[in-house]
Amino acid sequence: MADPWLEAYNFAIEIAKKAGEIRRASESEIKISTKSSTVDLVTATDVRVEKIIIGALKEKFGDDVFIGEESASKKGACILTDEPTWIIDPVDGTTNFVHGFPFVAVSIAFAVNKELEFGVVYSCFEDKLYKGRKGQGAYCDEESIQVSDNKDIKKSVIISEFGTDRDRSKVKKICSTMERILLIPVHGIRGTGTAATNMCMVARGSVEAFFEIGIHCWDVAAGAVIVQEAGGVVCDVNGGPFDLMSRRMMCANHADIANRVIKEIEIFPSDRDDHLHIVNPYQAFKLLL
Amino acid sequence: MSDPWQECMDYCVEVTKRAGQVIRDALQKDIDIMEKSSPVDLVTETDQKVEQLIISSIREKYPSHSFIGEESVAAGAPSILTDNPTWIIDPVDGTTNFVHRFPFVAVSIGFTVKKVIEFGIVYSCVEDKMYTARRGKGAFCNGNPIKVSGQQDIKKSLVLTEINFKKDVEQFNTMMNNVKTILTIPVHGIRSPGSAAINMCLVACGSADAYYHMGIHCWDMAGGAAVLTEAGGVIMDISGGPFDLMSRRLIVASSRAIAERIVKEIKEFPVGRDDQ
Repeated sequence: MADPWLEAYNFAIEIAKKAGEIRRASESEIKISTKSSTVDLVTATDVRVEKIIIGALKEKFGDDVFIGEESASKKGACILTDEPTWIIDPVDGTTNFVHGFPFVAVSIAFAVNKELEFGVVYSCFEDKLYKGRKGQGAYCDEESIQVSDNKDIKKSVIISEFGTDRDRSKVKKICSTMERILLIPVHGIRGTGTAATNMCMVARGSVEAFFEIGIHCWDVAAGAVIVQEAGGVVCDVNGGPFDLMSRRMMCANHADIANRVIKEIEIFPSDRDDHLHIVNPYQAFKLLL
Repeated sequence: MSDPWQECMDYCVEVTKRAGQVIRDALQKDIDIMEKSSPVDLVTETDQKVEQLIISSIREKYPSHSFIGEESVAAGAPSILTDNPTWIIDPVDGTTNFVHRFPFVAVSIGFTVKKVIEFGIVYSCVEDKMYTARRGKGAFCNGNPIKVSGQQDIKKSLVLTEINFKKDVEQFNTMMNNVKTILTIPVHGIRSPGSAAINMCLVACGSADAYYHMGIHCWDMAGGAAVLTEAGGVIMDISGGPFDLMSRRLIVASSRAIAERIVKEIKEFPVGRDDQ
């Protein structure tokens, strides 16, 4: 039987590359604003690129639902339904983009009946396109990729990020988790600064695991497919099943590594993407009127 | 008068390219790992092979020059810096990255005469970026001039540093406390690419605004120091005093303001010296 989502998949690949090219071209004209804090950045390019991606997709797949980072921050809750749904991050790694740090990704995922069908991550400055279609393996450009075969935590490299929340108690917990992991010991802790790229690092075997609390569904949806199709595992930071809207995620080359890292993670509460959250008191006031 | 060290530098670039190719070839195959001072201090045959290639190539042309190479020192060679023309070599900076194929691995070479760094070469092999800098003549990446971001405001900065396992509990805690302090200034972010030489070049080309580290070695710093300085960056000791190549520590930044702020915020711990 023909793949019902093949056309969508190929189109996603095309549009991710186009979006990445726009991003590379706009390196010089970066105007920055902030979102939830002074270190949670967004640029005019982010908004423009998301409009271009959604515009192109809506033109071809107008009946589908769209969950995109920049549209979501204005509207509130992201609800995942059974409907064909595109989950888009026009730039994963805005801080990197602003600084010219070489990891910036366009991330596009597609879900039907709440199941992820495919994911595409285009790492713009590396010019690498990662993709995974459910049941068909994972690729970087035309080469098939696999997770690392190392099951020894003491020979592993783990990715852990500090995120954009500078609340001291959260920073303390994040660092405390990193400390425990370092003392296992592991070979090292690294970070590229973008969740989508970090997941691709797991998928291609450059690191054994990546986890984060505080990411959004659009940061990890595509990466989740790619990691799984590369032979890895994706789950919750408590070891339970992966919950796309939970704002937390653990992925690894193997369950043994995932479970060992999970033992050290100090979990702190995070909002869900499918809960309505108030960005500022003025917005709350307006909602009450 | 022509530049007495330009010929050395041109030859160095050639040798570095060859060394980089050896590393890239090795990345296609399986890599056996050995441990040095601890289970996370790794070395491979490639580190040793590349260092031998570099030293023997240079010795052939410049038999009177001195060498300080990471793997030779590990094998017992001295690491005292004299006035003699000296090549300071890290054949594979980012061995952990190399072993895991995390894309930041570099050949780093700094050349000193009378203890002054005359030129530096850092070749980021996976990215295929050749950073070069001759004292007084600017810094380049693949032939294109590079310069630091010029960022003055620490709250708009992207800071690089590395965190790793340490046997000494107090040092480990100080390292982590420094990270928490810097993060909550707040800065835009902290990144850990995993190669000191590349970290210095990332600051040099404006992709990051600062890098600080205690516990590295002269061979990690010599090449990058030239690139960073020639790109207009600031380099100093963790205490705020002048940079000391044998001190096993440094701060580099896009501006004096950022470097001095980092000096103010972080606490030191003893790391020994390369010349002891």
